[in-house]
Amino acid sequence: MDKTGYSLVENTIIIKRELNSLDIFVMEFIEVLKKHTDYLIVSGFVSISTGRTRGTEDVDVIFPLIEREKFINLFKDLIKHNFWCYQSDNPEEVYNYLKNFQSIRFAKKDQLFPNIEFIPFDSTKKLKSFEFNHPQKIKISNFEFKIPPIEFEILYKELLLSSQKDMADARHLREFFSDLINKSKLEEYKNLITKYKK
Amino acid sequence: MKETLTDLDYVSIYANKLKENPDLFKQHAELIDSQIKASKEIFKKKFGTRNFNENARKYLRAIQLIK
Repeated sequence: MDKTGYSLVENTIIIKRELNSLDIFVMEFIEVLKKHTDYLIVSGFVSISTGRTRGTEDVDVIFPLIEREKFINLFKDLIKHNFWCYQSDNPEEVYNYLKNFQSIRFAKKDQLFPNIEFIPFDSTKKLKSFEFNHPQKIKISNFEFKIPPIEFEILYKELLLSSQKDMADARHLREFFSDLINKSKLEEYKNLITKYKK
Repeated sequence: MKETLTDLDYVSIYANKLKENPDLFKQHAELIDSQIKASKEIFKKKFGTRNFNENARKYLRAIQLIK
């Protein structure tokens, strides 16, 4: 029997484990979100969902800024599915944050953590646009979602974020996916991140 | 002299063990599930359920997580 922690099937990474409560929280959010807009899950959850054993309070989800009306429909749908927004119960008010490219947060009703940090971007954000346009599919049990290419995520954490926590997350990804990591992609993404990091 | 392992060394060791033995994901789930369960209980107690959003927002402003 195959005893590895993951496999790659038709370009989708399959993590061999059952869903935990954090996955279920994220899955419930993504199920609503994807009816309204495209998205990418980035940063800590990429490492945690692939086995990095650490606690977390938020899950970062990036999305291209959407029109006001579209957002209001999404907001109402999230409320209907028992989420609440930290910033306000009024979607018009919350949209003002998004249009200024400020992130907003959603948690489940009567809960504070974990929360989704919902981060808008546009085409001027070159690195966010790049990772968004090069998604890697990943599946845990019946939950399939999109993350950046593993090589990109590693380098983003190492070269741009660089905190102790990010360096440990990157190390986890380097080791866990050592059979999957493509060295030429690492080189390509290193150049890209170096070019666009401020 | 025996070399001291760093935090990053332990991350590497655990990632490699996990790669070879997915049963270790059970420990991973236990940690995450217990963190979420504890947080749920603490904040429900702290903010109640009648005015949860308003009470939580006061707290979030105090810790500067929202403006």
